Amino acid sequence: MSAIRVGELIRTKKVIVCCGAGGVGKTTTAAALSLAGARAGRRVLVLTIDPSRRLAETLGVSRNPPDPVRIPKERSDAAGITTGSLDAWMLDIKLVSDAAVRRLVKSEADAQRILTNRIYQQVSTMVAGMHEYTAMEALHRLVHAGTYDLVVLDTPPSRNALDFLEAPRRLSGLVDSRAISAFLPRSDGIVARAASRVIEKILGAVFGEEFAHEFVTFLSTFTSIFQSLNVDVSDMRRLLSGDDVAFLLVSSPAPAALTEASFFHDKTRELSLPFRAFVLNRSHANDAGRPMPTLPASAPEEVRTALPKLLSLAQLEQTAAVRDATLLGELRKRAGTGATAIALPDLPQGADDIATLITVADTLTAA
Amino acid sequence: MARSSDRVGSDFSREAALDELVNKRVVLITGKGGVGRSVMTAALAKLAAKRGRRVLVTEVGDEGDDYSPLARHWNRERLPKMPEALEPNIHGAVLLARTGQELFLKSVLRSGTLARAAVGSDALRRLLSAGPSFREMGVFFQLLTALREKTGTEPTHELILIDMPATGHTLSLTGLPELLLKLVPGGPIAAALKEGQGYLNDPKQAAAWIVTLPETLPVSECLELIDGLGKTKMPVGGLVVNRMPADPFTPAERAAMGPLIEQHAWLGRELFKKPLVAHRELARLRANTRLPMFVTPELPHEGLIAALATVLDGASPLPVPTGGG
Repeated sequence: MSAIRVGELIRTKKVIVCCGAGGVGKTTTAAALSLAGARAGRRVLVLTIDPSRRLAETLGVSRNPPDPVRIPKERSDAAGITTGSLDAWMLDIKLVSDAAVRRLVKSEADAQRILTNRIYQQVSTMVAGMHEYTAMEALHRLVHAGTYDLVVLDTPPSRNALDFLEAPRRLSGLVDSRAISAFLPRSDGIVARAASRVIEKILGAVFGEEFAHEFVTFLSTFTSIFQSLNVDVSDMRRLLSGDDVAFLLVSSPAPAALTEASFFHDKTRELSLPFRAFVLNRSHANDAGRPMPTLPASAPEEVRTALPKLLSLAQLEQTAAVRDATLLGELRKRAGTGATAIALPDLPQGADDIATLITVADTLTAA
Repeated sequence: MARSSDRVGSDFSREAALDELVNKRVVLITGKGGVGRSVMTAALAKLAAKRGRRVLVTEVGDEGDDYSPLARHWNRERLPKMPEALEPNIHGAVLLARTGQELFLKSVLRSGTLARAAVGSDALRRLLSAGPSFREMGVFFQLLTALREKTGTEPTHELILIDMPATGHTLSLTGLPELLLKLVPGGPIAAALKEGQGYLNDPKQAAAWIVTLPETLPVSECLELIDGLGKTKMPVGGLVVNRMPADPFTPAERAAMGPLIEQHAWLGRELFKKPLVAHRELARLRANTRLPMFVTPELPHEGLIAALATVLDGASPLPVPTGGG
C-alpha cells in the first residue's frame, strides 16, 4: 500500500497540476479537486484555459473574466464551502496579454497605441505556445502572490500531456534577446550584421518586403513587452519541481489514453517533476462490490423477460469492473512508492451540476 | 432490435454520403479528444482504398511526438515525414510544421545557398517555431504540397485524409488563410494561402467530418465545432456518432424495469441507462443540424478498424451489440 493519498495532497499542496490527453475528463477532475480543497477549508483557485464553458457554467462564473472570480455565494453554500473559498479563472489569452501590456507601459495612450497595432492584435493570440505560456505566467504570479492556499492548474488540451511545459520554452526562444537581435537592424558586430542581412533578405523573399519590414519593426518595438511575459523557464521549472507541487495524470481506461499515461509518467521522471498520482477516470474499478440483479417476488411479465437482458449487462459491468481494478493495480505498481493511483467513476451525463461535482470531490478526498 | 442500416439510412442516403466523402480531394477528420478520431480516420482510409481511391492518410504531428495514435493502426510507431506506402492504395505521412516550412523556404528561395542558409539558421528556426501562425503555415504548406503532387497528369494522392488535432488547433488551421492574408496580403505566402483556400473552402473538393459520441459534452462540443468551422469557411461534410450503445429492452420492459433500477444499486444499472442518454443526445444532434450522420456502434477493440469500415460501408448489419446477447 502506497503512502501517498490524494485527499492529503488536496489538504497540503500549494499547486496541483492536472495533466492528460484530450477527452479524459481533465477539466472535471480539476474542478472536483479544487472543490474538495475549498470544502476542506482552503482558499483555492482553479485555473483553466479550456475553451469550453461547461466548467464556468457549473461553477456559476462568467466566461473569460480578466481576473480570477469568486464563485457566487449560493453555489458556494450549495457546495458546502464554509471557511474555505473557491475562485475560478478561465484564462483568455488576449485579455491576459492586454493586461500585461497595460501593466508595463506608463500611459494609457501608449497602451492604446500598442493594443491597436495590427500585428500585435494578431500576434497576441497567434504566437505558438502563447496559451501555455500565459497559463504558466499566471500560475507563477498567483502562487507568489500568496492569495491562495492551493492553485489547481488544468493544463491545455494537447496531444502530448507535457506540451505545456515545452511550449514556454519555444516562446522564450523567440523572446530570448539573442534570437531577437538577429532580426533587428541595430545588431552590433560584423558577423551579426551580415547574418541579419541574410535573414532580412530571407524574410523579404518569404513575406514580401512590406510585411517583413513591418514585422521587424514590430519585433524591435515589442520585445520589451514580450520580455515582461518572459518568466524564466528555469524559474518555472524550479517552482514546478518543488515539494509544494503535485502532478496528477488523468487517464481513461482506453488503451490510447493509457499509452499516453505511460509516456507522461516516464517524462515526469526524466524531468524530475513531483508526479504523485494517476487518476483513472471513467473507471468501473470501484463497482466490483455491487450486487447482481435479482428477481423480486411476484414480478410482472416484463420484468421476467427483461431480467436475463439486465443480467447480461450486469455481467459486462462486472467484467469491466475486474478489468479496471486490474488496470488500477497496474497503475499503482507503476506509480511506485512516491505516488499512487485512484479511480473515478464513469459519468456519461457529464459532471455539469454541482451535486455530481461534490460526489466526485468526496471520492477524491477519501482517496 | 434496430439494425444499423435502419438507423443510419433513415434520413439520408448512406451511399451518396460515402460517395461524396471518398471523392473529395481532402477530408479533415475532427472532433474532441477521446471520441475515436484516429480510429475513424483509419477506417475511412481503408474504405476509400477498397473503393479504388489512392489515399494519403496524415495527421498533424509535432517534432517531439513520442508516438502516433494513427500509425498504430499500421503497426508503426510513427508515420514517415514524406509519403510512404502503408498498404495497397494507402500512403501515410505526418504533417510537421518544420517539414512544411523547409519545403516552403526551398520553393520560395530559388537560390540553393539562401535556402540552405535559411533552413540552417538557428535564429530563423526559433522564429518559425514560435512566430505568429508559422507552425500552422508549415502544416498548411505541407498539405498543399501533397495536394499538388502529380503522377503523370493525375494527382498522386486522390484523397487526403487528415486526423486533425483537438478542436482549438483545428480551427486555428482552418482559419489560417483568412487570418494571415490580413497580415500578409501579397507575396509568396499569400499565393500559397490562396491556393490552399481554393481547395479547403470548396465544398466539391474538401470537407470536415466531425466524430462525436452520443453523450452530453461531446454533443455540445460538436455543435459548437460546426459553428466554428462555418465561421472559418470550412465546409462540413457530416458527422459520425461513434460508440452508439445498443438497446436490448422493449419500451414495456424499460417501463417495468425502471423503478427497480432506481431502487437497487445493481450491476448493469449504468448500461441500462446508457441508451437513454445516447438516444436523447442523438435526438439533440438531429434537432440542431441537418448534416449527414453516420451512427457507428460500440465495438470491441479487437479488429475494430475492419469492423468499423464494414459498418460504415453498410455491408453488414449491426454486429452483435454489447450486452444484446
